[in-house]
Amino acid sequence: MKNLTLAAVAALAFGAGSAQATDIEFWYGNTGPVETAIKAQCDAFNAAQSAHHINCVGQGSYEVSMQKAIAAYRAKNHPVLIQFFDAGTLDLMLSDAVEPVQDLMPDVKWDSYIAGARAYYETSKGKLFAQPYNSSTLLFYTNKTELEKAGIMQTPTTWEEVIDAARTLKAAGHACPFVTDGDTWRILEQFSARHGLPIATKHNGYDGLDAEYVINTTFAAKHLANLVEWRNEGLVRLAADTKAGNYTAAFNAGECAMMEQSSGSYAAAAKAFDGKYELTVTMAPMYKGYERHNTFVGGASIYVMKGHDKAEIEAAKAFLDFLRKPEQQMFFTANTGYVPVTTDVLDAIAESDEADSPKYATAKVGVESMNQPATPDTRGIRLGFYVQFREVFMEETQKAFAGQQTMQVALDNTKKRGDQLLRRFEQTYKGKQLP
Amino acid sequence: MFSHRWLPLLLVAPLMLLVVLFFYIPVFQAFYWSFFLEQPFGGGSQFVGLENFKRVLSDPEFWMAGWRTIVFMLTASLLAVVVPLMLAIAADRRIALSFPARNILVWPKGVAGASIGVVFAFLFNPFVGLMAPFNTLFPGAWNPGIDGTDAFITLVAAHVWSGIPFNFVILLAGLRSIPHTLTQAAAIDGAGPWRRIFDVQLPLIMPQLFLTFVLEFTESITSVFALIDTITKGGPGGSTTLLVYKIYVDGFSGFDLSGASTQTAILMVFVLLLAACQFFYLGRRINYER
Repeated sequence: MKNLTLAAVAALAFGAGSAQATDIEFWYGNTGPVETAIKAQCDAFNAAQSAHHINCVGQGSYEVSMQKAIAAYRAKNHPVLIQFFDAGTLDLMLSDAVEPVQDLMPDVKWDSYIAGARAYYETSKGKLFAQPYNSSTLLFYTNKTELEKAGIMQTPTTWEEVIDAARTLKAAGHACPFVTDGDTWRILEQFSARHGLPIATKHNGYDGLDAEYVINTTFAAKHLANLVEWRNEGLVRLAADTKAGNYTAAFNAGECAMMEQSSGSYAAAAKAFDGKYELTVTMAPMYKGYERHNTFVGGASIYVMKGHDKAEIEAAKAFLDFLRKPEQQMFFTANTGYVPVTTDVLDAIAESDEADSPKYATAKVGVESMNQPATPDTRGIRLGFYVQFREVFMEETQKAFAGQQTMQVALDNTKKRGDQLLRRFEQTYKGKQLP
Repeated sequence: MFSHRWLPLLLVAPLMLLVVLFFYIPVFQAFYWSFFLEQPFGGGSQFVGLENFKRVLSDPEFWMAGWRTIVFMLTASLLAVVVPLMLAIAADRRIALSFPARNILVWPKGVAGASIGVVFAFLFNPFVGLMAPFNTLFPGAWNPGIDGTDAFITLVAAHVWSGIPFNFVILLAGLRSIPHTLTQAAAIDGAGPWRRIFDVQLPLIMPQLFLTFVLEFTESITSVFALIDTITKGGPGGSTTLLVYKIYVDGFSGFDLSGASTQTAILMVFVLLLAACQFFYLGRRINYER
């Protein structure tokens, strides 16, 4: 009798799973409004068809998601779909743990992805490894109300104008004209890209694992040294200098008047400003005399992991197809501020009645920024142990901001320590070819 | 005593299984990986002998983190024993409010390290925390987000606070177990309170003091992780990157499994040596007899 009951329960449990839908998992790292949007997309996918069922699991952050993926992959317990962030790209390309989306779905029109978004996630030979998902890029946020109060009517477009504006704001008694957290992505990577400066030799590593950092010799070094001086002058503030203790919060609360931040922050800023201040979002400032190049795509993309059966792969493909649909991309953009990166979606937005709606504000300017003329040094960053390099950069430059060493010494140290990381990475993946 | 010779083994088996699964196997794995260059997704690993150790031991960052660990160990554990000792002596002396204090001082034990971190990050915030009035007098004098020393002080303060309950209980128990007659005899002989502390109470609670020191020294090296992770994230400028945090960042944010394993192996040997030294050199001098 007992056995019969058990058998019945088992039959029910298994029957429910296999007869109707293939269950797959998708891991992501975002939180807040972005997580809400991701969940909504998963629910919409499950409601739209009955052949597949996706279970979307939030891991709390990109890093944690990647840690768990590594552990899960080693234990052969990994999800089919997983979202990884930009800095992990090279680790995944060499891992042999993922199937390039272009191999898996050769019929998709991958060309519809704008070049700026493709380049970061494709091999040196041009094969797309992952499907761009929540794409963002660096934008320049200004508090128009505060700037106009100080008599600045035009949004600054060059660093020279930004600093003039900061001086004016400071003279008008503003305590925090420009704020940054000194993050590597913002003050080094995106700066180098749009000024057309290399971060490392071999075109930022695209041409081989034997690249070396050059950040201490490019114009970026001058800009970073300027940031230190401007901070001493009271024009630039670090996150720790603000009352809010967090630079985005400081900007959103109106404490600081200007910041460089990901387009993904737009929704939160617009919500915080609502009714109090007017928000302006433009492309990040350039130095005079430099030609503007594309900014890197930031955010994350979705990878298909190896080691799953055919039905699961089919379900994964169906979900990726679903996410590429224009209406899904538009929904995601409108709710998060992330940027749509396929031409058909951009056309669809332009043709819709809401083309000028603030919810698509970042789409236009973000894509414009990523679509500037490219050079072989602005494709992306393909450097090993890159997450650790970001930590090293932060550590050394924080010492420079605190006055313990000059910015040049900080960058020389960063290069030295960064090159050691690259050599060890090269040795770890000895015999592997960069795809 | 036991009817069956396998019964005792069977009874400890669940615990042994846990210890093996969650301690010995990971430890073995860490030592194993420290001799290899390991790819995060396990695509392939190559034996490199002592290469990892050579590299780590010649890395100035490792030594800096090690030095910070030792400074933290000495300052934080010393304070984490001395402060509860003073509180315990006071609570033992039946001064006003000593009875409720004996109860209340134990409460922090119930607070997780990470929660303590969040609270202390707020308490030491330069704009709204305890030091805010000080900052209005001397602008920019206190900012743990910029100044490494300030950040280190914040960590030490949080650690000492979280160490109070356990050490307080142990030391107070030691003090309470000293026979009253001894204190009374000393008092009759004309010894004042200070004299009695140094000549009667402290010598008699040496076993308890030794215990708290041994536990503090080894604990402070590893348990500080939760505080660093919530208060400083190792910054500013790496000034609070203690070894245990460096290992975490290298291994889990940087996916450098070999480097992190090598440092783990070195740290573990260091902690074991430290405990051994304490037992062999200090432990022998302590008289457990009363």
